[in-house]
Amino acid sequence: MTTDDTSSEADGGTDHGDATVEGGDATTYDAGEVTLRKVREHVWEIPKEGDMRVPARVLASEQLLDQIADDKTLQQLQNSTHLPGVRKYNLCMPDGHQGYGFPVGGVAGIDAEDGCISPGAIGYDINCGVRMVKTNLTYEDVQGREEELVDALFANVPSGLGGGGIVEGDIDAIEAILDRGMEWALEEGWAVEEDLAHCEDEGVRHDSQPSKVPQKAKDRGKNQIGSLGSGNHFLEVQRVTDTYLSDVADAYGLEEDQIVVLIHCGSRGLGHQVCTEYLRDIEKAHAGLLGQLPDKELAAAPAGSQLAEDYYGAMCAAINFAWVNRQLIMHRTRQVFEKVFGTDWETLGMDLLYDVAHNIAKKETHTVENGEERELYVHRKGATRAFPAGHSEVPGAYLDVGQPIIIPGSMGAGSYVLRGGEESMDLSFGSTAHGAGRTMSRTQAKQDYWGGDVQDELEQEHIYVKAQSGATVAEEAPGVYKDVDEVVRVSDALGIGDKVARTYPVCNIKG
Amino acid sequence: MGYELRDHTADVAVEATGPTLGATFAAAADGMAAAMCDVIPESGGERFPVEVRAESREALLFDYLDELIYQRDVRGVLPVDNEAAVRESDVREPAGDDGEWTLTGAARGVPLAGLGARDLKAVTYSEMDLRETDDGWRAYVVFDV
Repeated sequence: MTTDDTSSEADGGTDHGDATVEGGDATTYDAGEVTLRKVREHVWEIPKEGDMRVPARVLASEQLLDQIADDKTLQQLQNSTHLPGVRKYNLCMPDGHQGYGFPVGGVAGIDAEDGCISPGAIGYDINCGVRMVKTNLTYEDVQGREEELVDALFANVPSGLGGGGIVEGDIDAIEAILDRGMEWALEEGWAVEEDLAHCEDEGVRHDSQPSKVPQKAKDRGKNQIGSLGSGNHFLEVQRVTDTYLSDVADAYGLEEDQIVVLIHCGSRGLGHQVCTEYLRDIEKAHAGLLGQLPDKELAAAPAGSQLAEDYYGAMCAAINFAWVNRQLIMHRTRQVFEKVFGTDWETLGMDLLYDVAHNIAKKETHTVENGEERELYVHRKGATRAFPAGHSEVPGAYLDVGQPIIIPGSMGAGSYVLRGGEESMDLSFGSTAHGAGRTMSRTQAKQDYWGGDVQDELEQEHIYVKAQSGATVAEEAPGVYKDVDEVVRVSDALGIGDKVARTYPVCNIKG
Repeated sequence: MGYELRDHTADVAVEATGPTLGATFAAAADGMAAAMCDVIPESGGERFPVEVRAESREALLFDYLDELIYQRDVRGVLPVDNEAAVRESDVREPAGDDGEWTLTGAARGVPLAGLGARDLKAVTYSEMDLRETDDGWRAYVVFDV
């Protein structure tokens, strides 16, 4: 997509884009097949043209835009604007990259009355998300015991392929989990009430319809309840290195040097199968709509159709499953800490900070083009809800400061805690980024890195990594990710998610 | 003829070729196994049958790979050494049936325990390409990992 190598070098090493400068500020960005217009700092727009129903926007610095323009992200973002009922503009967050159908980092507000719902624009891993558990341990308490801790976590938290789950579920348990989410975990003694109070939607989607979850999805899920999986999913013990907004950090209970645990995973095979089967059913039932879309993976069920209702019910059930999955892993983590540190988890202060989804669609009310309030299916695929203080859907514990947003970085870089920013409702349907975002393919990563070397180098930095597969470590090497600091800087500068704290890895387990 | 893993920013793509549709589909399935496991044991595990029906060739490829992912999770095995034969029914199936393309095949299921394999979440339609070439068929499939 390179347009002009000479001028690219002149404006600072850009390989793929060519920003046109007028009076010291770039006004357009030439990404080859498309030209983006600068709306304001960090906001770039692909104007509506052809069959696009709305414009597309990228929230990024020029540095991040260079990476975003390097693969098919912009094309996928443009394609998604062909979906019926899209409102205002479809967006790519600062960490966006190429996915399947809709890019990762994509946000679309689609009218719930005359629009549609698209499983591929939510992702196979329904309610893939992150939770952060606090402790009152300091880094000093953990230093020298990292290997003991990483070994104990690795031995006790199922990960990888075929590693089973913390609970072997029967059909009754699966149905109850799909129906009641973390309320089931509370009834069964896997959670305390405070856990539910510190989770998006208090850990249960009441719109769930377990009967709409395909049997094959339930079959896949029953031996995966409480398991990390593989790929970019992980459990990481971290230390807080910096806090930025001291009043918010206080409200969140975060302070420098504190040990926290971050858990990143989703709805496992159950959610993947829900997405797969509905994608196929929608393809067969709504071929006419599919024929108008530029990518088959965007297949969508028209709002009000039976399949839209059924998919929404099944997706909400898979959301509940993912919350229980992360809850069980947190419960097991508490037990491991109890054993390693010889103190019960309550005394260790192992309270849930928050649990956020980043692959999800939700019915939410937003102000659209003409100032009208509309109920939308807000699709967030690799994007995090970022509601500000005072919003009615922010849990009571954080109503005065805004909801926590957890942005995991790579295992060699920091992660961040943000809070929902004042600008998010206006700019991004109440959303921000979800991670660092990949820049390098997995196949390339395995050529460039060897898992053992990556582990050794991280250990030099006092980061202890343990994985089922050396290839996973290579594929997830810190060098394959974008600069998480820059992603968060853009979110903060835009006011969609404000920086509260930064954390740094201590030990990490993965599939 | 066979498969190659192709670059994709976040996921994995497989390009498969074969003299027949069946051989090409089986090569795509072998590529999927390779995306999950770098060193596949040459022996071990029992063969199990796979049968899939769908309304088109592309849908059949999608459903076939999805079925193998499903079997992987419920049987706790990695499906390798895949074999497949694809045929189009002579007689159109009654309305409401899954369609007129049928795949009959088998795979060797290597137990996942101790294999150090990695998860692969799902098959996608994104950029899927299936076409006849001078030598047979070529398939391109992106997987979500």
